Amino acid sequence: MAVIETTGLTKVYNADQVPVHALRGVDLTIEKGEFTAVVGPSGSGKTTLLNIISGLDEPTEGRTIVQGTDLSTLSDRQLIDFRLHHIGFVFQAYNLIPVLTAIENVAFVMQMQGRPQKECNETSRALLEEVGLADKINKRPSELSGGQQQRVAVARALSSKPDFVLADEPTANLDSVSSGELLDMMLELNEKEDMTFVFSTHDQRVIDRARRVVTLVDGKIDKDELRE
Amino acid sequence: MFLKVIQLGWKNVWRNPMRSAVVIIAVLLGTWAGIFLSGFFAGMAQGYLNNQFKLTVGHIEIVHPQFKDLYSPEYYIPNSDDVIRELSQLSYVQNISTESVTTGLAQSAHSNYGVTMHGIHADSNNAIADYIKEGTMPGQSDKRNPVLIGQKLAERLDIEIGSRMVLSFQDKNGEITGGAFRVAGIFDSFSDPYDEGNVFIGLENMNELLGLTNQVHNIQLELADFSQASQYASQLQNEYPNLQIQTWGKIAPELQYMYDMTDLMMYIVMVIIIIALIFSIINTMLMAVLERTRELGMLRAVGMNKPRVFSMIVSETLFLTMVGAPVGMLLSWITISYFGNVGIDLSAFSAGLSAYGFGTVIYPSLPNIYYLNITLMIAAAALLSALYPAWKSLQLNPVEAIRKFN
Repeated sequence: MAVIETTGLTKVYNADQVPVHALRGVDLTIEKGEFTAVVGPSGSGKTTLLNIISGLDEPTEGRTIVQGTDLSTLSDRQLIDFRLHHIGFVFQAYNLIPVLTAIENVAFVMQMQGRPQKECNETSRALLEEVGLADKINKRPSELSGGQQQRVAVARALSSKPDFVLADEPTANLDSVSSGELLDMMLELNEKEDMTFVFSTHDQRVIDRARRVVTLVDGKIDKDELRE
Repeated sequence: MFLKVIQLGWKNVWRNPMRSAVVIIAVLLGTWAGIFLSGFFAGMAQGYLNNQFKLTVGHIEIVHPQFKDLYSPEYYIPNSDDVIRELSQLSYVQNISTESVTTGLAQSAHSNYGVTMHGIHADSNNAIADYIKEGTMPGQSDKRNPVLIGQKLAERLDIEIGSRMVLSFQDKNGEITGGAFRVAGIFDSFSDPYDEGNVFIGLENMNELLGLTNQVHNIQLELADFSQASQYASQLQNEYPNLQIQTWGKIAPELQYMYDMTDLMMYIVMVIIIIALIFSIINTMLMAVLERTRELGMLRAVGMNKPRVFSMIVSETLFLTMVGAPVGMLLSWITISYFGNVGIDLSAFSAGLSAYGFGTVIYPSLPNIYYLNITLMIAAAALLSALYPAWKSLQLNPVEAIRKFN
């Protein structure tokens, strides 16, 4: 079953002045449980594609269907709600809330979903244990290493029980050891939970471990390879 | 969830403790300074009014309808004893003072000066007694034809206790009359012009020279609440249609203007301070919003809707304001209560103050309702301060906000 389906995605920035074609008719289908890397040189359109898939940005042309919902039919408010319940985000710079502890950061998205406090606490604790941070739940981001912060970010992304997790350059700010550990963890979650991951990356070690690699060049899919 | 958002707002306030502390202290000091200054001005104005009520104008004054036009002695209050007795029965009247009044010339061997002469009862509890600097009231002196004069007049006429002086004026028939008096006392009130232009002698002495018997020209009523003067004056006017009954506000419109302006002045001071605080808070909150662009973008991206983001920023602003404001109000209440009792001694500026009729000790005071109004004003200011930063936070495009700092 397709979790994400894009058809003829086109994105043109500055259409009225000097147009920049970020995407030129991208057709992409992501099935449930895939572990997909979107790769390509800088300016190839990786981040734009992820932004459109997540409903953070609108395509100039084309459609994005996520779990059967055409994102172009949703209002701003519905899009925010859609993201809250269907998509998990992992950002390059972690983007944790510095005044909250690890467990509070993870619980925050669930609280926004309106889930009971007890469930928020239990789920957050379990997720932090799952990402290997059982002993860090009451630490603030400033007390955690970059790798640990990104693990908290992954736990936060999973806390909303999303249909898939989008990660924009998740290892870009991490050293090789932390990158490897994060990737191991994401792969484990992918296998155990059948969680769908879509991430953009430049990191060859990450690309090497992806099960599907979509290569973008100049806003078009240049290669789409499945690996075993 | 809104509770969580507000909790997050509270934690965000302490993200940069030094900056928040500076704003909180600014709000605290601004609130304290604004309220205390208002209390100071109110106390100063009230003191001025009280001084004027004590010496120059009663809350309600009763005179012959033509007396005020010419200050002519012939326009006395007929049957004044009966009127005074009836007035003393009224529950809202706290004190009654009576006097015969005329204008004339005070002369010494060295100089002369135009004065208003007040003839007061020997046993009168006249407020001028509070200001006697040397000597006694005319009624308590064993001298013949005693007179009480102001310090300034004594200096002008170059006389002192025991000196002789002559008072000349018209009697009730328009004939020039006068008498030799001996200075029994010297007073020094809050007002130099008053001290220079008023003398007090015994009522019997005065009436004898004026050709009157036991009549008076002026009955002054002190009320329990001077702000009710208009209402009571109307009632009295109906009861005494042949007399002129005026309130302090009619007799001295400048006092009424001052009374009316005091409230306005207090609010103007507070509004100026609050405007300054609003800009300080907006500045701080804008910094807080702009330095958290990426974080706010992330929150919007993961599903925090606009009302929640707005609420979070508004709550942060309210916390910043509402931590400092109550402490500032408490501090101002304590200082106003303390100085309201012991007073603030401004005798170093007594020359300037007394020239304008102000006392040298100011007793700050502020009605309780004013604290409530200040609370509402600060709450409104906090909300106003919150709007722009909160609106600014909503203008952030999540995509750009996240990308900008990646």
